[in-house]
Amino acid sequence: MTTTNPIPGQSTLAPPPAAQLLVLASVAALEELETILAGLAETFPPESVIVAAQNENAASLRTPLRVVPVAQPGGTRRLTPGDYVNACDIAREHDLRAVVMLGPGADSLRRPALRGLAGAILNASTDLAMPLYALPPNTGLINSAILYPLTRALFAARARFPLALDLAFSMRMAERLAAAAGKVAGADPDDAILWPVNEAVAAGFSVDEIDAGPREIPQPAESDINAILAFVTGSLFSDIEAKAPVWQRPRRPPALRRTSAPSSPAGNEADVAHMVEGFRLANANLQEIWSLVLPPHTLVMLKRFSAVEPAAFRMPENLWARIVFDFLIAYHLRTINRGHLLGALIPLYLGWVAGHINVTASGTAPERHIEGVASAFEAEKPYLVARWRWPDRFNA
Amino acid sequence: MQAASQNLPPIRNLTSIPANMDEGSVLHHMSDALHQSFYRVLTLLVAVLPGILAFIVALLVFSFIGMVVSFVLRRCLTWLKFDQRLAKKRGSDWAPTGSPTEIVARFSFWACVFLGLMIGVSAFDTSYATGTALPISLLPYFTHAVGAALLLVAGILIARFLARSVLISAVNAQLQYARILSLGVKWLVVVLTAAMVLDHLEVGGDIVELAFGILFGGIVLTLALAVGLGSRDLVSRSLESHVEHSGEHVHIPDDGSGEAKSIRHF
Repeated sequence: MTTTNPIPGQSTLAPPPAAQLLVLASVAALEELETILAGLAETFPPESVIVAAQNENAASLRTPLRVVPVAQPGGTRRLTPGDYVNACDIAREHDLRAVVMLGPGADSLRRPALRGLAGAILNASTDLAMPLYALPPNTGLINSAILYPLTRALFAARARFPLALDLAFSMRMAERLAAAAGKVAGADPDDAILWPVNEAVAAGFSVDEIDAGPREIPQPAESDINAILAFVTGSLFSDIEAKAPVWQRPRRPPALRRTSAPSSPAGNEADVAHMVEGFRLANANLQEIWSLVLPPHTLVMLKRFSAVEPAAFRMPENLWARIVFDFLIAYHLRTINRGHLLGALIPLYLGWVAGHINVTASGTAPERHIEGVASAFEAEKPYLVARWRWPDRFNA
Repeated sequence: MQAASQNLPPIRNLTSIPANMDEGSVLHHMSDALHQSFYRVLTLLVAVLPGILAFIVALLVFSFIGMVVSFVLRRCLTWLKFDQRLAKKRGSDWAPTGSPTEIVARFSFWACVFLGLMIGVSAFDTSYATGTALPISLLPYFTHAVGAALLLVAGILIARFLARSVLISAVNAQLQYARILSLGVKWLVVVLTAAMVLDHLEVGGDIVELAFGILFGGIVLTLALAVGLGSRDLVSRSLESHVEHSGEHVHIPDDGSGEAKSIRHF
């Protein structure tokens, strides 16, 4: 007995493939969104992607992709906890497998970066894929000096940009991030930062890093270094404090990063003398505050370095690592007001920046120096753990 | 002549001793006055002593009750894993010496001590009011002194906080006179506090107000001169460099290998 198909031609068609990927584009400008949609349409099969756009005019754009408008955040130029909650809700609603979040300025991302981020989640068993941007030297220096070395040393995760503007994650990671966002978001959800790498490590999920090439980093709303450093560093310190039981466990350090061809050293055009002058002024005036936070031998070394000529100024990697660890402990113990503490860190950070510029001007590749700093943080981790557990041992 | 002088009464100090009194009666009067004054003081002490004792007993008893309550609360909250439950809800950004359990225990202890203090003062006040009608101004002055001490402590804490804030902000703005500015702010607040304390104690009257006005105005004038004249060039340079730095921008090259013209922190 043979059966005949009443509608010839339709039995051979496979059912339309279900969407697997959610792309949440946190962009405000319509032109920017248009470029992103064009890039996504070229990179992925249109039926496999759902785009959640934080733009009320997104539906008016002509694109083969399915676009879902979502609530727009309060105009911040970074991913907020609310974005993670939105992403998780939409992905759960459409039963998707992976989420790619694109921050402001994502139209400058290249196609392979998008493909790489999504592929790491869909094709490999990675839970969190972080981008590795190729930024010019002397860009994102707070990240290079504090965020990256601290994250790498404490959480043993390979993420050069722990506070990246774009990232991809699996559904279980989305659930975890949404839960964390619910805890972090207080009175003002836009005024909080979520640290996805730390969350992934705390949950025991796998983290990978994807080459993302160059990317335009938008200017933050707040251009004052004092406010930015206090906000970002304070947030990371708080997260580290909350996850103390996680990072105190011994972990195997991540595999060494293959440093790309040495980029051309940055010219010594930045005002090194200005920053060193600021460091000296702080050394002369902030001794009373620094002495509450830093041990005596660190103060002696800082005093010695303050007498060095600006062109020869260097901040040794292990000294910088100990300074950051001491400030982290003082933050934890509330030795002084936290606003004062982070304010007192700024001249030291500027000293590190001056040293970094001098090092790179002498021919060392910036990335090599930053990797050296991160290695020093790893080497000094026992000092942090010891002081965290026994804070009274000031001169350990 | 000699006989006439023998008839005259002996020379006496007419201002201090009445003419009709002999030396024995003067001593008697002095002794009376001393006895009366001693009696008055003893009466006052007897009237106030129960109040003082009641104050001390109330404070001790309620301190002991506070210790017991604090101990019981600490044990109960630890047994209920209060800290862990709270950390699950809102994160665990607590200092080790300031865990929620510890805060609740301390709060209960100090609440009991405060209650004891209130009851003690009330008992003291009652015994004083009913004990005697002697005109003493000890109790009102004592309460004023406590208020003044609290004002002084608060003023010193605020002065220290503001001085540090100004010092750090001025150093980060690279102002060479950061320390002077910080000291100026500190002394402004200290002088203001001192004036408030003296006014609260009702000491000095108009002199305090006058002295405070002169000192406060002097400090403000000194700071204005230091900032406005002494460091005029420095301020303009600081402002210029601040404007230059806040307008920093970065050029992102296509190949990612070009040189940045300026630094960018974030």
